[in-house]
Amino acid sequence: MECVVQGIIETQHVEALEILLQGLCGVQRERLRIHEICLKNGPNLGLVASEVRLLCDLEQTEPSWTVRHIGGAMRGAGAEQISVLVRTMVESKVSKNVLRMFYTLGYKLDHELLRVGFSFQFNRGAQITVTVSSVNKMLKLHATDEAVPVTPGIQMVEVTAPASAENYTEVAAAVSSFCEYLAPLLHLSKPGVSTGVVPTAAAAAASLMSDGGGTTL
Amino acid sequence: MEGELVQQQQERLNQAVQQQLNLEQVKMRAISLFKAISRILEDFDAYARTNTTPKWQDILGQYSMVNLELFNIVDDIKKVSKPFLVYPKNVNADNATILPVMLSTKLLPEMETEDTSKRDQLLQGMQNLPIATQIDKLKARLDMIAGACEGAEKVLADTRKAYCFGTRQGPAIAPALDKGQAAKIQEQENLLRAAVNVGEGLRIPGDQRHITASLPMHLADVFTVNEGAQSFPEGSSNNAYMKNTPLSSNSMGGQNSLLQTSGSQLLGRSAASPNVATSATFDNTAASPIPYANSPRSSTNMMNTPSPQQQTSQQQQQQPTVQQQQRQKMMQLPQQQQQLLAQQQQFRQSAMQGLGQLHGQHQMQFSQQIGHQQFQGRQLTSGHVQHGIGQSQLNQGNQMTRISQFSGAANNALFSAAQTTPNTQMIPNISAGISSQSLLPRMQFGLSGNNPQRNHASQMLNDQMFSMGGGNPGGMMSIQQQQQQQQSSQGAFGGMASNAQNLQSGMMTLQNTQQNHPNFSQQRQQNQQ
Repeated sequence: MECVVQGIIETQHVEALEILLQGLCGVQRERLRIHEICLKNGPNLGLVASEVRLLCDLEQTEPSWTVRHIGGAMRGAGAEQISVLVRTMVESKVSKNVLRMFYTLGYKLDHELLRVGFSFQFNRGAQITVTVSSVNKMLKLHATDEAVPVTPGIQMVEVTAPASAENYTEVAAAVSSFCEYLAPLLHLSKPGVSTGVVPTAAAAAASLMSDGGGTTL
Repeated sequence: MEGELVQQQQERLNQAVQQQLNLEQVKMRAISLFKAISRILEDFDAYARTNTTPKWQDILGQYSMVNLELFNIVDDIKKVSKPFLVYPKNVNADNATILPVMLSTKLLPEMETEDTSKRDQLLQGMQNLPIATQIDKLKARLDMIAGACEGAEKVLADTRKAYCFGTRQGPAIAPALDKGQAAKIQEQENLLRAAVNVGEGLRIPGDQRHITASLPMHLADVFTVNEGAQSFPEGSSNNAYMKNTPLSSNSMGGQNSLLQTSGSQLLGRSAASPNVATSATFDNTAASPIPYANSPRSSTNMMNTPSPQQQTSQQQQQQPTVQQQQRQKMMQLPQQQQQLLAQQQQFRQSAMQGLGQLHGQHQMQFSQQIGHQQFQGRQLTSGHVQHGIGQSQLNQGNQMTRISQFSGAANNALFSAAQTTPNTQMIPNISAGISSQSLLPRMQFGLSGNNPQRNHASQMLNDQMFSMGGGNPGGMMSIQQQQQQQQSSQGAFGGMASNAQNLQSGMMTLQNTQQNHPNFSQQRQQNQQ
């Protein structure tokens, strides 16, 4: 299971967000370049449609593959009160012939995208990962070098934290309290709920970027 | 006298010092401080007694008052404390030991070591320089620190203003983005969220899913030359799945794409050759020596085989070629497998895709929709209409024929063609001429050879199930199966090069379950040619 929220930020404020996250998280940022291939199963594979995502981390010298299955989100009155989305998620590292294997099983390529950005991983009540990335699409199949952003002026911010059925409330609380720190720059919400941009973003970004007029020692 | 002596004995403070001290003021301050502190203590007593929670703002305010007053007093006294020194008057057993310590100006040992270490740290590297330079350097450092502090305070003040932390009022009206900008951003946001979560806007249409020559490194060894991109055609995200019977045997091996295209074999294709005829005529592709699928001689009810012209032109294109090969392979499967494969085809609700029009020839299929739906005059987007002609036999019963759409002129032509078709004849080809267009779409209805059921155009155009003759005692192929076939045929044709032709018609025909019928064999023969 995981708790997840998403938000958007204008590309011009991404640097300010990075500074803020650096200050909040206390860890170094990690670059991100992930080729995400989304596969859907063919008609002969079962009753329900299922989709599987293969993530290839292109930032390392040796590309590493991960398979991820995202399940349904928690529903009900309790879920509506939580400000994060809690959903089942299974993830595993796989070898590089995973794509072949899934094709052999009968999965078909549904869509693919390329995420380029950075991420921060830290522990603050829960193991939280913040990812800021621009989402790029490929006009030609698998042409990752020729990817263009889906929305050039806006980048996607995702905050996720793994959880289990026992502790998801604490994890959700940790994630939502962390998100409050980001309030001057962006609003985060459950995936699928749109938020718009924050009006104070420009002022907050300006103050984060300024050096305050002091000289360095 | 005594009074004067007493007065003189009373020491008088120096007038100047007295003025400096300003005793009255200090007394006032001390008194007010005392009062403030006692007030706070009383408040706390009250809180404790009534068990109410204190309001922190008030208490903080009071504390700040006390703090201020204390500060002022200390400030005042410090100014004038120099001329005074402490003279312990009352030495007794209690304070005898502690007095020397309190009076001494020498630091305690720990404090002394701390002091020296800090001093060393500060003067590191400057010990050897003359005192004056040391002083200068220290001064410079102090200035820099002061500058940094000022900058920090400025930033804090600015931020405080921006968020109105200092004031007790609410935030000022946030600068509103103008509506147009906000709308644009909203639109972009929806695009982005849809792309990330669902994959909207990222799907490459089937015809563009060739593997480019240069695969990125991490995918280089994944694909072999033959496999190609195995993909869903567009709009597959809402597929409904049916219960599938597993293939008993699969001669296709690992070629999954064939499974998807298998249905196309069962459905066949209609091949229309371009015809300049303006009126609806039944134009047999007489040039083709292949017996028609729906000729009286043949027992199949599949579509006509494509004319040789069509076939060759198809071969010229890569993807259709591949698919044709696949189809031919499929035809070699036993009928049963075909059946099973047909049953396993997906049911899809997506809009029909444009079939490639190969040098002016059309392939039309009738695609089906879910359920028992009536005919609707729904318009398909231009240029992307795929028509599939399913098996030609029409069923009776509770399944509806669905005509998804006809364009205006085509409608008329088609209807007229339908009307004029005699019901008892076998109609090898019904071509509807669209006079407004140079290329004429054609619809072919496969008709069974020996069944009284006719794939009559007019019948198909009705939105009610027309009863067929009794020659079809077998059950009817389920909608789903048929739909599957339709869907799969769509998949097969999805790879065809799309054409700008504005074909807009589609029909859903329901087929009966006479798939064991030699229809298939016929079809196979035809397709192998």
